[in-house]
Amino acid sequence: MDYYVAIASIIGIHALLGLSVYVVAISGQMSFGQQGFFAIGAYLAGMSTAMWGLGLVPALVLGALVAGAMGFVVGFPALRVRGLYLAIATFGFGEIVRLAFLNVRYTENIGGRVVGPNGAEGFRHVRYVYDRGFTGLHYLAVILVVLVVVVILFFLLERSKVGAKLRAVEEDETAAAMIGINVTRVKVVAFAAAAAVAGLGGGLFIHYSTYIDHDMVALPLAIASVTYPLLGGLGSFVGTLLGAIVLVGLTEGLRGLQGMREFVYGGLIILMMIFRPRGIVDEALVLRVKSWLSPRAPREPVQAP
Amino acid sequence: MKRLTGFKVIALVAVALLLGPVAAPAFQGEGTLRIGGMWALSGGAAFFGKAALGLATLAADEINEAGGVTVAGKRVKITMHPQDDACNAEQGLAAVRRLATVDKVLFSLGPTCSSVAEPVFGTLQKKLGDSGDTGLQLLFFTDTATKFGLAKLSPWVFRNTPDEPAMYDFIVKYLKETKPELKTVMVSYESDFAHSAATWKGALEPALKKYGHHEIKEVVDWRWLDTEMGAQITKLRRANADVYFALAHTTSMCPSLKEMKSQRVRPKMIIGITSLAGTEVLINCPDLAEGVISPTNFAPINPKAKQIADKSWEKYKADSNIHSVPAYENVHLIKGLIEKAQLKNTEESLLEDRRKVRDLLAKVGTFQGVIGKITLHPEDHPVKPRDVDKDMLLVQVKNAKWSVFWAPPHLKGN
Amino acid sequence: MLDATEQFINGLMFGCLYALIGGGFTILFGVMRRFNMAYGSTIMAGAYVALVPVYLFRAPAWLMVLTGIAAAVLVGLLVEFCCFRFIKKGHELAPLMTTIGMLIVINEAIVHATDAVGLKYPSPFGDVALELGQFLVRRDYLAVLVAGVVCFTLIFLLLYRTRFGRAMRAVAERPEAAQILGVSVRRVNVLTFVLTSALAGVIGFFAAVSVGSARPDMAFFVTGKGLVVMVLGGLGSLPGAIVGGLVLGVLEFEATWFLGATYRDILAFVILFLVLVFRPQGLVGTRTT
Repeated sequence: MDYYVAIASIIGIHALLGLSVYVVAISGQMSFGQQGFFAIGAYLAGMSTAMWGLGLVPALVLGALVAGAMGFVVGFPALRVRGLYLAIATFGFGEIVRLAFLNVRYTENIGGRVVGPNGAEGFRHVRYVYDRGFTGLHYLAVILVVLVVVVILFFLLERSKVGAKLRAVEEDETAAAMIGINVTRVKVVAFAAAAAVAGLGGGLFIHYSTYIDHDMVALPLAIASVTYPLLGGLGSFVGTLLGAIVLVGLTEGLRGLQGMREFVYGGLIILMMIFRPRGIVDEALVLRVKSWLSPRAPREPVQAP
Repeated sequence: MKRLTGFKVIALVAVALLLGPVAAPAFQGEGTLRIGGMWALSGGAAFFGKAALGLATLAADEINEAGGVTVAGKRVKITMHPQDDACNAEQGLAAVRRLATVDKVLFSLGPTCSSVAEPVFGTLQKKLGDSGDTGLQLLFFTDTATKFGLAKLSPWVFRNTPDEPAMYDFIVKYLKETKPELKTVMVSYESDFAHSAATWKGALEPALKKYGHHEIKEVVDWRWLDTEMGAQITKLRRANADVYFALAHTTSMCPSLKEMKSQRVRPKMIIGITSLAGTEVLINCPDLAEGVISPTNFAPINPKAKQIADKSWEKYKADSNIHSVPAYENVHLIKGLIEKAQLKNTEESLLEDRRKVRDLLAKVGTFQGVIGKITLHPEDHPVKPRDVDKDMLLVQVKNAKWSVFWAPPHLKGN
Repeated sequence: MLDATEQFINGLMFGCLYALIGGGFTILFGVMRRFNMAYGSTIMAGAYVALVPVYLFRAPAWLMVLTGIAAAVLVGLLVEFCCFRFIKKGHELAPLMTTIGMLIVINEAIVHATDAVGLKYPSPFGDVALELGQFLVRRDYLAVLVAGVVCFTLIFLLLYRTRFGRAMRAVAERPEAAQILGVSVRRVNVLTFVLTSALAGVIGFFAAVSVGSARPDMAFFVTGKGLVVMVLGGLGSLPGAIVGGLVLGVLEFEATWFLGATYRDILAFVILFLVLVFRPQGLVGTRTT
C-alpha cells in the first residue's frame, strides 16, 4: 500500500512541475527552466519549516510566491525571445539557479544537527511532515489538495478571458496584439503563474524527501518536466496529469523487466508519440469530448491527428 | 485505423502499468527469508550497483548451499530482492517503500549513491518505537553510500562503509613519519560532488592542519563530469608540490591525469580518493593511473579475499572492491544475527522481526570481515554511531593492476 | 599573462570541437526545423563503436574514424526512421519527445554493454604537449583544430558547390518553394541525416581522443555544448556556429583560469542568457527571423 501511495505522491509532485511547463506551453512557448523555480520553491519552503519554524502551509505559499516573483523578474527579459531561444534561455536560467544553490551555505545548528542549504552537501533534515505524524496517506492527501486547487484554478483559467487571451497569443501573437491584447503582459503573467506552480511542487517535494541538493534539479528533471505535457498532450491540462501518471507509472511499472526497463520505457515513448504526435489528449480529442458533453454546442470539424 | 492503433499502444502501456507493481509474489509461506537491496542497476552508477548486487548474491548463494538459515526451528533459504534506483532520488523514494511493503524484506542493503541515501534515510523513522514518528521502519545495512554522517539520519541505518576522515588522517600521519622530506602538497577536488568536496573539507584539510607538517601550495577544483582541466593543471604545474592529493573519481581523474602528462607535471606522489581503488579506473586509464596510491578497505591479500574476488567475477561479473565487498560481509553478519534473534518470519511479525535484528545489530560490536576485524560502533558513539571502524590499506596501481602499497602489520601475517 | 595566452590558444583549439558540435546541430536544425535531442547520443555511439576494431586488432586511427563514421551514420538513419519519418508536418514538438525516447534507448544500450564504465581511448597524436616557444600546446587539440578546418571546408564545399548542397539550402530556407521546384524534401532530409551523422562520427572520435576515454555521459556533454553554440551563433547560421564554438572555448578556458570552475559555469550561462535576450540573432547574425 505504502508503495502505491509513494508512486501517487511522486506523480502528484511531478504533475505540478508538468503543469508549470504546460502553462508556458499554451502560450506557445517551451520552457526548459521550470526546474529552477521548483528548486527555489523547495529550498525556500524547506528553510521555512526547518529553520524559521513556519507551518507547512505558509511554507508552501512562501515558496510558491518567491518562485512566482522570480518568474516575473525572469519573464520580462526572457519572453522577448521565442521558440528554441526561449527554451535555451530558460534552461540557462535553471542552471544559474542550480549553480547558485550549489554555492549557497546558510546553516544553523538545531538540536545538534546542521540544518539548511549547505552547498554541494545539500539541504538535510526537512522532517516537518514525518515529525508531526503525517502518514504517507496524509501527505498524499496534502499533495492532492494542492493539485486539485491548482487544477481548479486552471479550469477557471481555461474558461476565463485570460485563458482565451493566452490561447489567442499562442495562435497568433500579431493578431492578438492587433485586437488589443497586451501580449507581453499576458505572457509574463502566465510565466509567473507557471513559476509559482513549479515552486509549489518543489515545496511539496522537499517535505516529502526531507532532502534536496543541486544535482536533483539538473538537466534530467528539466527533460522529465517537459515530457509530461508533451506526451500527455497540450489540448488540456488533463493531458499533463495523464502524462505524469503514464511516465512515472511506467518507471515503476516496468520494474519487473529489470535490466530491460529503460529500453522499453524509451521505446514506448517513441511509439506513443508516433501514434499520437500531439500527445494523448490533443486538441481534436478535447473538441470531441466537448461535443459529447454538450450536444447542443456546434460540432466543429475534427481534424484527424 | 491509425487512431485505433494509437489507443492500442496506450492500452498496452496501461496493462504494463497495472501488471508491474501488482506482480509481487505472496509472502514467506514458501519457506524463504527475504533480503532486499537498493542499488543503481541502470544509469551512470550501474558499475557500482551491479558489483554490490553480485557480492551480496554470492553471499546468499554460499549460505543457501550450506543449507540456508535457521528461522523458527526451520531451515529456510535466502532470496534476494534487488530494486534499481538508477541513482535517482525519486526512484529511490519509491523503491524503498516497495522493499518495505511489497517485497516485505527483512532488511535492505545499499543504496549506491549518497544522493539517494539522503532522502531515503531521511524518510526513515527517527525516533525508534515512537508511533508519532511516521518515518518508514526498514532496516538498512549499507555497503556503498559513503558520505560522512549518513548513518546519523535514522536509528534504522547501519553502515559498513569507509571512514574517510580516519583514512586521510592516517595518510597524512604516515607521510609525515615515513617521508618527512615531502613537505609541500597540492589538492584537486570535484566541487559539485558531495563525496569529493566532503573528503577535502571534512577529511583531508583537517588532517593536514592537525599535523601541520605539510604546506598547502595550491587547491583547485572542477566538476565531476568535466573533461577539460587545462587551466587547473597549469596552476598545479606552477605550484609544483611534492605530494598531489587528487580527490577525484574516475570520470574526472583520468582526463586530469592525461592533462598532467601532457603538461609534464610529475609530483613525487599522487594519492587518490577512496572510491578509486576498483576496476573502473583500470579500464578507463590504466597507463595514466600508474603509480597512483589510493586508500581502501579491500584488497585480495589473503586466500579468502582472493577466492571471493575470483568467484564473484566468474559467477556474476561483479568487481570486488571497497564498496561491494561490504555487501558480502553484511549478508553473512546478518545471517548470524537472524539465527540468534528468534524471528517468527511471518507477514504479521515483519516489523517486530526487523526491530529484533536491528537491536542485535546495534550491539554487535566487533565482527570478522573478509580481510580483518570490523567494529560496528554502538548507538551512543559520540562521533559516528552505527558506522564502522575497519582496517585500511593503501594500494597502488602497478602494471595496470592494484597492488598493496601498505598494509597494517597484523594483516600481513594472514 | 603568459599563462592566460596559453589558455587562449588551447581554448581556441578546443573551441573547434565545440564549433563542430554546434555545426552538426545547426545543419540538422536548419534543414529539419526540428530539434534532435538524440544527436548527442549519435555522437556517443560513433565514439564507442570506433573502439571495436581496436579491441579486435591494433587498428590505426583512420580505421577508427571510418568505423565511427559508419556506425554514426547507421544510428543517424535509425533516428531518422524512428523519430522523424512517421511524424507528419505540423507536429513540431513530437520529434522532441521521440528523440528523447531515442536518447534514453541509445544511452541505456551503451550502459548495458559497458556497465557505465568509461573505456580507454588510444591517443594516436601522442600524450605529451608540444613546446611552441614558451607555450605548451596539446597535440590532440591541434588535431581537433585540423579536423575542424577540414570538416568545415568540406561542408562549405558541399553546401555551395554541389547540387545536393543547393537543394539542402533551398529546403532550409524555403521548404515549400523547394518542393515546388522539384526538390525531394524527404530525400534531402535523409541525406542531411547522413551528412550530420558522418560529422557526428568524426566529432565522437575527436571528443573521445581529447578526453582519453569514451564515456556514457558524453551525450549530455555534447548536447549541452551544441545547444549553447548554436544559440550563441544564431540559429541556423553555420559561420555563427564556428564563431560561437571558438568564443565558448576561449571563454571557458579563460574563466577557469581567472575565476575557477564554479564561476566559469555561472558566467557561461549568464552570458548565454544575456546574448539570447539582447542579441537573439546571435553573435554574428543580422537577420531578425
